Amino acid sequence: MKRLICLTAMVLLGSAAAFADIARPEPAKTPKPNTSKSIETGMTIRLDSEAKEARLIIPKSQIKQLRAELEQMDDDSDNTAAVTAPGSFSRTQTVLSGTFLSLALVFGGMWFVRSGKSTTKTGKGLVILAVVTGIVSAATLVYANAGPPQEARSITGKMFTQAVHMYGTGWGTVKLEARDQKQIELIVPNPKPATPANDE
Amino acid sequence: MQEIRVSRFELTSAHVFLAAFVAACAVAAVVIGAAPLQASIATIFLFAGVHNFMEFRYFAARMPLRWGRSRLYYTVGIGGVIVLAAAYLTLYFASGNWMWSLDSWATLSAMWNTAFVLWLGILFYLRGKQRPKSDWAWAFPASFLLAALAWLVPQYWSLSLVYIHPFIAMWFLERQIRRTKPEWLRAYHYCLASIPLFLAAIWFAFAGRPNLSEETNLFWRITQHAGSQILPGISSHVLVAMHVFLESIHYAVWILLIPLVDWRAVPWKLSEIPLFANAKGFPKIVVAGLAVSLLIVGVLWGGFAIDYTTTRDVYFAFAIAHVMAEFPFLIKML
Repeated sequence: MKRLICLTAMVLLGSAAAFADIARPEPAKTPKPNTSKSIETGMTIRLDSEAKEARLIIPKSQIKQLRAELEQMDDDSDNTAAVTAPGSFSRTQTVLSGTFLSLALVFGGMWFVRSGKSTTKTGKGLVILAVVTGIVSAATLVYANAGPPQEARSITGKMFTQAVHMYGTGWGTVKLEARDQKQIELIVPNPKPATPANDE
Repeated sequence: MQEIRVSRFELTSAHVFLAAFVAACAVAAVVIGAAPLQASIATIFLFAGVHNFMEFRYFAARMPLRWGRSRLYYTVGIGGVIVLAAAYLTLYFASGNWMWSLDSWATLSAMWNTAFVLWLGILFYLRGKQRPKSDWAWAFPASFLLAALAWLVPQYWSLSLVYIHPFIAMWFLERQIRRTKPEWLRAYHYCLASIPLFLAAIWFAFAGRPNLSEETNLFWRITQHAGSQILPGISSHVLVAMHVFLESIHYAVWILLIPLVDWRAVPWKLSEIPLFANAKGFPKIVVAGLAVSLLIVGVLWGGFAIDYTTTRDVYFAFAIAHVMAEFPFLIKML
């Protein structure tokens, strides 16, 4: 017992000395706020039934202007992008909560089976209830996480329909091009709806 | 020949107890709802230290002279109280240390919560082993589930402890009534059933009120304690009122109701404390412990009078020890 107390005291003293020697961390560099200037320009959105893919055409003159802005921003920012470290707690949180949930299920299941409650009517009822609740919860989660429809996930003419407005957002692949023109132009494919076949 | 019996209503002590409880709750709900911040300051000033003294006195009377076959249970129970309270205080007072980032503090805090629920699980399991024909192994999956919640939603978990703690005193009272005043048990269950009604009344009456003032550090601490930052969608007026209402019942249970149903808990009846009265007991230690507790009550009152905010912070940091100490004695009574 005495040996254990001495050992504990020694570890505590040693750890205190070790921790006391840790250097104070460098003060974190705070990234400068992004002071990007905006460029005022015009934009045309054109629905094109012949187009196969969405294209965003940017005038060459404006690309030059943007490039100059970017170079200015690079000079000001002082490469501070690496300063922000990713938060490690969320990962620890996920791993440990998952581990404890698994342990709860395993130990709960073992206790349930061992206690003999699973053979009774109430036990069987509880198992059925738990399974149904599990399936319903899983289904709720899956449907709650379902993405918006295809119309909102591709840049086509259908994106502008009322049905897609409820999602408030949409996205899809787009080809960027630079041309000699005055305005930015977004060409959106707008395939014609198939006409129903005439049976008569 | 038919006999006609007329059942007459007889006013018993249980009826008086029920009526007094409901009336006191109604008055408390109105007063606290009208001025929650003031009520919080006043109740903590008046009753916080006293209720801790009464708890200590109650636990001293419940502590057996010889632990016998409960040796392991009490060792784990009291050892857990000491270790967890020390760890909590270290976390609390070292949280401003430059070595601890916000992330590491959150991780250590979640680790403490995990240790706390696992300790509770072990206590339940050990208690179950002492009871004939009972298997309390369910305590482990329950602890693991709570530990998962402590990691998954740490802020809600901590807040739930703040609101659950007052109910522990009510549970103690229930167990005590079963033992020493069983004729009050039904009335007490009605009393317990009335508490959600009062909470609902506070909610509906004050939910529309604007948030309470946070212009001083003390007001800010009080609203934070009640969870205004974690539940920003709910009026802090309602949160503080509900918290103070529950805390007031908690104080009333320890100071008034438990000595009322168990005469052994009356502070000056030292002969009812086995550790004091038994020939093989430790009367000097018991008297010294009670004297120190009384002294702390006086010091707390003095501290509150001089610097309320600082004393409140220090009190709530050390108060974790009494929260911990409640569990081994409560679980032992199950």
